[in-house]
Amino acid sequence: MDATTGTAPPRAAAAARLAGPLRPLWPFLLLLAIGLAMPLTGNEYWGLITTRMAIYWVLVAGLNLIVGYAGQLAIGYVALLAIGAYTTSVLAAGNVLPPLPAFAALGVAGLAGAVFGVVVGLPALRLRTFYFAMTTLGFATIVTQITLAWQDVTGGGIGIAGPMLPAPFDTTWGFLYFCLGFAAICTWLTANIARSRFGRALVAVRDAEVAAEASGIHKPKLLVLVFILAGALAAMAGGLFATLQTYITPDAFTFDLSLLFFIAVLIGGRGSILGPLLGTAILTVLPEIAAPLAAWSTFLYAALLLVIVLAMPGGIAALIDPRNRRNLPENRVIGPQPAALDALLGRREVPAPLTLRGIVLAFGGVRAIDGVDLEVTPGQVHGLIGPNGSGKTTTLNVISGYYRPEAGSMAIGPAPLPAGKPQGRAGLRIARTFQTPRLIGEASVLENVMIGGTTDGRTGFAEALLALPRQRQEEREFEARARLALEAVGLAGLAEARADRLQHSELRFMEIARALMLRPAFLLLDEPAAGLSTEEIRRLGALIRGISRHGTGVLLVEHHADLIFDICDQVTVLNLGKVLAAGTPAEIRVHKEVVSAYLGA
Amino acid sequence: MPISAPERSLLEVRGLEAGYGKIAVLHGVELGIGAGEVVALLGPNGAGKTTLLRALSGLLPVTAGSVTFDGQALTNASPRDAARAGMVHVIEGHRVFTQISVADNLELAGYDLPRGERAARIEEALAFFPEIAAKRRDRGGALSGGQQQMLAVAQGLVRRPKLLMLDEPSAGLSPVLLDRVLGVVRELCAKGTSVLLVEQLIEKTLAVSHRVYAMAQGRIVLAADAKEEDLPHRLERAYFGEDVPTALHA
Amino acid sequence: MLASIIASGLAVGAVYALIGITYNTMFATSRVMSFTAGQLGMLGGVFGSLFTLRLGLPILPALVLTLACCALIGVVTEIVAVRPVLKSLDQHLYVLTTLAVALLIQHMTAMEWSTEPQPFPRLLDLGSGIWDEKYWLPVAVCILTILGLEYLYRRTLVGRAFVAIAEDNFAARALGLPERNLRIASYALAGAIGALAGFAGGQLLLAFFANGPLLNFYGFIPVALGGLGNNRGAVIGGFLLGLFQQAANFLVGGIFSSVAVFTLFIIVLLAAPQGMFGAQAARRV
Repeated sequence: MDATTGTAPPRAAAAARLAGPLRPLWPFLLLLAIGLAMPLTGNEYWGLITTRMAIYWVLVAGLNLIVGYAGQLAIGYVALLAIGAYTTSVLAAGNVLPPLPAFAALGVAGLAGAVFGVVVGLPALRLRTFYFAMTTLGFATIVTQITLAWQDVTGGGIGIAGPMLPAPFDTTWGFLYFCLGFAAICTWLTANIARSRFGRALVAVRDAEVAAEASGIHKPKLLVLVFILAGALAAMAGGLFATLQTYITPDAFTFDLSLLFFIAVLIGGRGSILGPLLGTAILTVLPEIAAPLAAWSTFLYAALLLVIVLAMPGGIAALIDPRNRRNLPENRVIGPQPAALDALLGRREVPAPLTLRGIVLAFGGVRAIDGVDLEVTPGQVHGLIGPNGSGKTTTLNVISGYYRPEAGSMAIGPAPLPAGKPQGRAGLRIARTFQTPRLIGEASVLENVMIGGTTDGRTGFAEALLALPRQRQEEREFEARARLALEAVGLAGLAEARADRLQHSELRFMEIARALMLRPAFLLLDEPAAGLSTEEIRRLGALIRGISRHGTGVLLVEHHADLIFDICDQVTVLNLGKVLAAGTPAEIRVHKEVVSAYLGA
Repeated sequence: MPISAPERSLLEVRGLEAGYGKIAVLHGVELGIGAGEVVALLGPNGAGKTTLLRALSGLLPVTAGSVTFDGQALTNASPRDAARAGMVHVIEGHRVFTQISVADNLELAGYDLPRGERAARIEEALAFFPEIAAKRRDRGGALSGGQQQMLAVAQGLVRRPKLLMLDEPSAGLSPVLLDRVLGVVRELCAKGTSVLLVEQLIEKTLAVSHRVYAMAQGRIVLAADAKEEDLPHRLERAYFGEDVPTALHA
Repeated sequence: MLASIIASGLAVGAVYALIGITYNTMFATSRVMSFTAGQLGMLGGVFGSLFTLRLGLPILPALVLTLACCALIGVVTEIVAVRPVLKSLDQHLYVLTTLAVALLIQHMTAMEWSTEPQPFPRLLDLGSGIWDEKYWLPVAVCILTILGLEYLYRRTLVGRAFVAIAEDNFAARALGLPERNLRIASYALAGAIGALAGFAGGQLLLAFFANGPLLNFYGFIPVALGGLGNNRGAVIGGFLLGLFQQAANFLVGGIFSSVAVFTLFIIVLLAAPQGMFGAQAARRV
């Protein structure tokens, strides 16, 4: 028997999701309790190790957003630790300016970290992965060299005393409690970001950059915000590190330390908070348990890194994530609920049509599209068909801004539609799907769909950081809208499932749900029926019809001729980049040239 | 309906399934090619023709089913093994190597062959295409699209294949080129080489073919003799579904 | 002074260029940038010192053994860190796997060889002053290597198969080229080239485990400047970098010269991410 997936989700699941990356909360509380209970052991050495763990975590918590969430391979973060440590120490010692109180120095270090966090991060906006990894590595090297060379300020190789915090934080246990408290706050802050639209956008940039752009996510702005946060946290961790060490020299900031931070995130697992936290704890403690491990710690870290990447790409997080074990029902059926479209799309004022005039685009001398005219009318389904290489998907990519045409114009009603600028399309309510579904495999289906609404977010980064009421309200609205969209496409029962566990056909419908999140005025569908069964194609057809009847103009690129002739109001046929014919399905169906172009007769 | 069975079977494909990642494209493809036979493989875009060719030649992993070639099991063989066994795949899009010369492109096609043998085979392949034989010192990138396609076909010929699989040799190029390629197909056929031809230009293709397979949505939906009277109508029905009035019916 | 800046600049530039070629050789057949490139250079020096000074072998057998060892390490890299992640190249997992292997190599060397720079023998005992072999030997080796590679790529079938795979891996496979064997061969070749860099530059850089990350970075700059996979670009970039670095060394002192190099590197990269002679980015949609 079929298990219908169109039923409403249980309330408990919805509540659990809102706890986001801190769910379940008890492991975090347990770790904190262990830390707080340390003085009971009376063992100051382990107190110091716990303090160091907390300090490392302050840095890793921020780095986690960059490496684990945004997928940027920043391997030289020890540089920011050093910057923070030296800034705090130098300011507190007063060998350049009048001495500052330790907390003020720590605050200034945070600011310096924010600035340098952006400096280190900027190349990521332009460079590919390996290049970026190299630049962070180079940055780490030169920071160490500067600390050595700038003797007047940093004390060079001799070093400088770390700042002393005022009472009651000037004892081993007082300092431990301070660091634990600070680490707890950092956990909370980064978890807030992780579960906000910013966190989802970071993951989208990592796993589905093109879809992220189409959803209106502005990658540079997003990354800069996160670089600021991570840089500030790392530098403040550096200040605390200097206090812990009591005396710092450039030798304290080895590349091995950088590696520890980086690998802690990867061992922990991407897109998790608890995983990297455990990773940090394990990597900090491991060399302390057995003396031989200390000498070989880097070797161990590297071996762990290799094993994790090759054998356990999900890291610790994958082991502890219950979504991996829960079985999805077999024989599930995608049952779109057109009724949900009423609630989702509602009555909207009908926008003006989307028009293309004389679009020309060539790749390396070959004209992929050669003077295409097209008009997508709101409330109608417009089919775009033609043989392979006739320019269908290219036309779609011109509309959604990925390609700049060499000639021709686009407009929505009287307003010209600027060429290029794919991130701007979501703001104009132009949504799209892709030939190959672009998804975030590690995120839930619900989160994947919520990506589509990013551009409607009104609350800022700071509000998300502190999880202020307005931001939480907005999140609830996003979630409700995403659940409606999932209901509309018939995937409501799979909202909590990890997206990479879905079948191919379900991913196609999930992409449509993501596009519907935008309440689109225009919806561009790129071969949505590819790989679907006959029954699924029929339901897809009904869904597309339903969407268009709520006022959305749909442009449908498709190979399945029966689907095109079934649901389209207008059909344009492309051949060799030119419009071969345009008209109603009935006209096209009997168009001699079309039949021969299509059949190749 | 009886279809004239080939004299001696060269390629036997049974229940073949293949795809890209999660996307299953081929659903139980059944197909056979006889020695010395020219077979056209037709079908609309996205039907799975290219995928089928790639699965046969080992460029794409096969998830189920079997491929038997010349009495040898070739399911999931590497492209190299397939080529050595005599099944050569000329991929779509005239993808020759642009940085090296025409002659070097052909040398690489005979990578495994002994040096003397290779030179002889290259001359043999070039004999089919005098226009590129004249440009053997030029870089592959200096050729026109049509010449690159001829070079790609010539690369396939260097192996002296038992079965040559051509994927859309005319795509994006002038129809005149197809005539040249089909001329070669005729010559090869006369010498006993089998050809599996994927093409959009149906009429010309059918003229050189013995038999036709049509694919839609990852399945073989039609197997027929190329000279059959009713073929265009049957093809159209196979693509567009059974009961719609059509231009050809009207 | 100028003469010695030029001599040492060209010498270190040649070593950087060779490491750049090592990157390129691996990249060509696999589209992978490997962090092991600099480590291979480091090992060239360490193995050279090991075989000659510690084990007392004559220069030539020591060189052959060094090349063989590094070629083997190249092959191991391919098997352990490259092949398993080639299927999902777009996830860039190779950055992590090759980093891991590079660190394993580096740390193993530190623990089993020495954490202090060890001496490297004079090889030919020719020249003195700015004409000392330690300056011209790397340059000569670099020139010979590039000539050898040009011969390989232009005159031999295997070399043209490398070129073909670099240009269009799929078409090369379809043609029946033994793509996997050729990739392994190119990693072995890269290992040998890296070893040559370390061996020829041994008298300048010594046998020191920490040379690995340094060569990784300074060898990468010529690649970034010259464009991925462009050996001639890497040679030009390498010599320019070497001269710039040595001039900055002389003018502003060793530590700030690294800052100068790094700053210049970032500026050039941001201005021309594809390098000065680079190719265009691939289509994304």
